[in-house]
Amino acid sequence: MRLRSLLWLFLGAIAGWGVLRAQKPFKAYQGVEYENFVLPEDWQKPAEWTRARLIYPSFFSVHGIRDGFHRWTIDYPRSDRHLLQGMRRLTRIDTRSVEQSVEPDGDDEIYNWPSMYAVEVGYWNLSDQQAQQLREFLLRGGFLMVDDFHGTVEWNNFVAGMTKIFPDRNIVDIDNKDPIFHVVYDLDDRFQVPGMQYVFTRSLHEYDGFQAKWRGVYDDKGRVMVAICHNMDLGDAWENSDDPRYPEKFASLAYRIAVNYWTYDLTH
Amino acid sequence: MFEFLFKYPEAVFSRGTFVLLGGWPIWLLGLAILAAAAGLGWVVWQRAGSGRVAGARSAAVWVLQTLLASVLLLMLWHPALSVATLRPQQNIVAVVVDDSSSMAQADEAGGTTRRAAAVNVLNSGLINDLKGKFQVRLYRLGDHLDRVDKLEQLNSSIPATHIGDALKQVVADAASLPIGAVVLVSDGADNSGGVDLETVSEIRRQRIPIHTIGFGKEKAERDVEISDVQVPARALPDSRLSAIVSFHQNGYAGQKAKLTVKEGSKIVAQQIVTLKKDGQEQSETLLFNAGTAGVKSVETSIDPLPGEESAKNNLVTRLINVDARKPRILYFEGEPRWEFKFLRRAVEDDRTIDLVTILRTTQNKIYRQGIANPDELKDGFPTKVEDLFGFDGLIIGSVDAPYLTPGQQTLIKDFADRRGGGILFLGGKDALSDGGWKQSADVELLPTILPDRKDTFIRVGATVELTAAGGDSLITRLVEDPAKNKERWKALPYLMNFQDVGQAKPGAVVLVDAKPMTGGRVPMLVTQNFGRGRTAIFATGGSWRWRMLQPLTDKSHEMFYQQLLRWLVSDTPRKVTTSTPKQLVSDDSHVSLRAEVRDRTYLPASDAKTEAHILGPDGIAEAVDMRPDPIEAGVYTADWTTPKPGSYLVEVVANRGGEELGRDTMTIRREDGVAENFHTQQNRELLEKLSSETGGRYYTPQDASKLGKDISYSDAGITVRETRDLWDMPIVFLLLLSLRAGEWLLRRKWGVI
Repeated sequence: MRLRSLLWLFLGAIAGWGVLRAQKPFKAYQGVEYENFVLPEDWQKPAEWTRARLIYPSFFSVHGIRDGFHRWTIDYPRSDRHLLQGMRRLTRIDTRSVEQSVEPDGDDEIYNWPSMYAVEVGYWNLSDQQAQQLREFLLRGGFLMVDDFHGTVEWNNFVAGMTKIFPDRNIVDIDNKDPIFHVVYDLDDRFQVPGMQYVFTRSLHEYDGFQAKWRGVYDDKGRVMVAICHNMDLGDAWENSDDPRYPEKFASLAYRIAVNYWTYDLTH
Repeated sequence: MFEFLFKYPEAVFSRGTFVLLGGWPIWLLGLAILAAAAGLGWVVWQRAGSGRVAGARSAAVWVLQTLLASVLLLMLWHPALSVATLRPQQNIVAVVVDDSSSMAQADEAGGTTRRAAAVNVLNSGLINDLKGKFQVRLYRLGDHLDRVDKLEQLNSSIPATHIGDALKQVVADAASLPIGAVVLVSDGADNSGGVDLETVSEIRRQRIPIHTIGFGKEKAERDVEISDVQVPARALPDSRLSAIVSFHQNGYAGQKAKLTVKEGSKIVAQQIVTLKKDGQEQSETLLFNAGTAGVKSVETSIDPLPGEESAKNNLVTRLINVDARKPRILYFEGEPRWEFKFLRRAVEDDRTIDLVTILRTTQNKIYRQGIANPDELKDGFPTKVEDLFGFDGLIIGSVDAPYLTPGQQTLIKDFADRRGGGILFLGGKDALSDGGWKQSADVELLPTILPDRKDTFIRVGATVELTAAGGDSLITRLVEDPAKNKERWKALPYLMNFQDVGQAKPGAVVLVDAKPMTGGRVPMLVTQNFGRGRTAIFATGGSWRWRMLQPLTDKSHEMFYQQLLRWLVSDTPRKVTTSTPKQLVSDDSHVSLRAEVRDRTYLPASDAKTEAHILGPDGIAEAVDMRPDPIEAGVYTADWTTPKPGSYLVEVVANRGGEELGRDTMTIRREDGVAENFHTQQNRELLEKLSSETGGRYYTPQDASKLGKDISYSDAGITVRETRDLWDMPIVFLLLLSLRAGEWLLRRKWGVI
């Protein structure tokens, strides 16, 4: 009898641990650009939705420049917090004030956050196991938006990672008629959204990424699974949308793109 | 023995009236008995003294002497029975002999058939006995009544027995003929649903006693018989259906049997069952897929067991109309959220459901998906009856009630109540109590009593567990095996959130409970019928984790939502809905058709011209006018006779003022030579009931010879009232003798003599 009670206790503890472990609480990471960024007052208030940020391993060097830092934290967390505020204000999505940073490390945490964003994916260096988990995540119904990578070199590196995830799926240009550009705003007229370098150099592009590319990977039902924003820096636009030096028209389009993309994610 | 002691047959006593023929008044008899009792009491008391017959002994003597005096006094008043008897040779006795194929069963003594045993009983003097007193008319009974001249004409070839119809004909004959009694010789294996009350009342009114002689075994020794198979008359393509098979057996208790459901030659479900006790009704449920649209003939069978007396009663056929229609469901959601996305995905592969959604994306914008044309629902949630009632089902997500006008709220109520649609309420931050639905016009739609507070949507994880009702429901069946299904539900990933929806209302059914991590248990999935429709609550917005947190190959989330939404709309009626009590008629030609007709706003249309167009085998084509039902508004009925066995396509069309209100089709089938394979044991209960209700008596073949005497006593036909003296019954003398002897024995015991 005692043995059975102990067994039940053990099983209960395992189950409880499993449940608690299944969805991790919010955690603030050290960013490349920001340290000890102040949390919003309501950061602990649970909500229906938040956008996750993908933690991925990055190459130490891509353009021959030895960066040596975690590319996934670019613009983090200022960009995320601004975006989430924007989503709250512009849509009826019940949005948490803070993002969730998740890593495809083999456990189930990634599946708790079906709306995923990855920055600087021109530097990502996914392991086979991570690629496989991202594939499973996307096929189960997850959505991935990638942004802030520029030119041919970063594109090629992104494609290498994407091919690991989906060896059998093509990256294609998203047609203007696709609902992703119309779900909330009609975004037929889009333009290149530059990063903060525009403020200092007036240059819209980085490297040889002269033209903004709106691309995607579709699932078997014709829905965008991976929304690819190449040769643009929406992350910078959200991050600097409160900076008077950064042009409003870029920030505005970045928000409208975000509203459309995430609303598309929640409707398709 | 009875007749020896009481001088007359039982029938005289059961049908006669007690009378006193003596001229003296009855009160004088009472007085005389009292006087005798008093006198005897005084004498006994005087003699008692201190002798041996004192106290209780003297009381016993007084009782015995008083009883003796009372009986003697009663005899002086000349007791008798007044009884109506049939006048000899002036009355007709109808001898109705069952000539259906069940009478060919050789289960009588010596392996003779029931018919042979019946003929033998009738020929062994009974018919001659009757002919000595009455005119005898012979009838053969099957699906109708025929007159025959000789018993040799019987051949047990009629494929059905309709006792009720036959008796109606006898009653009709009695209006013009002096029918004094009916003798029904049968196994009671009626397959028209028994004898209706109307027929029995008419027989009682005409006072015709029906005497029955029962043949056949009352219980099979080794047999399995399917009593009934319940399947839905209509279904949506690819739906999961249940066949509830009721059966009983004798001689195989504890053994295994194989139940099979087939559609054509294809086995769609199979199950091994353990047979219960002899004679005990057993019910098993088999699940199968409805398949593609069309009329499905579903055969349910139990594999014959070794030594079974009859295997013909192991197979039952049913028809299912799998509709080609694609019900439309409107899902109105108040906020973009994962539950919305994953619900849409869950049903997108369901070819039978057309999901149309309206989503409030921003404060001032809606986003529509699945619409039939660009203008559909462009102004948001419908405000007109025609716009909303075009849907078969409605899902209301995280929508605050005040967003809808009072008119729209009333429309939602009418959607379930009048339209007969299904409404599903989902949990959410703006749903149910938190969304003000407690104060809305639709509160009575909800299957639970909502809490009167606005903090009921709780973002705490919760596991789920099936209730007993959920274990039986097709909505929640993720795995065929009920025990495994229960475990499957327990193993589902926890929900992101749940909503406290209060207790289920009376009549509502809780299928799933949520067990929050904070403790306790609350209803999660609750269903109920409301008006002509049905409503349900699925009290969460977090079931999407069942999709994201389980492998791609796991289809639990999709199955659950598909089954829930099919339940929501599968019974939603159209403007014209046709039905019949029996789609498959066995050895019967009568078909009752019923159509419920509604106008464009789903109000009953009582002034429609409703016609049934029937197409049958060999080019049979007929149009049948359906009459309005005088009691139920919008209901039309018609009776029709199938000319021959086969399948019939019935299309009912309703028109009003040149406008077609709607049409509906169904299939019926007539099969002959099937009914007599079932209920083959003697139905003694029916025969006994028929006799007792009409003043007759049930006889076994062994005591049928008494019928000749009993039958004379009847109130029907041409009768004469006779009185039968009772004073000279042997029982009276025996009683007097016993009383006197009793006193003598007592006195001897006490030593007085």
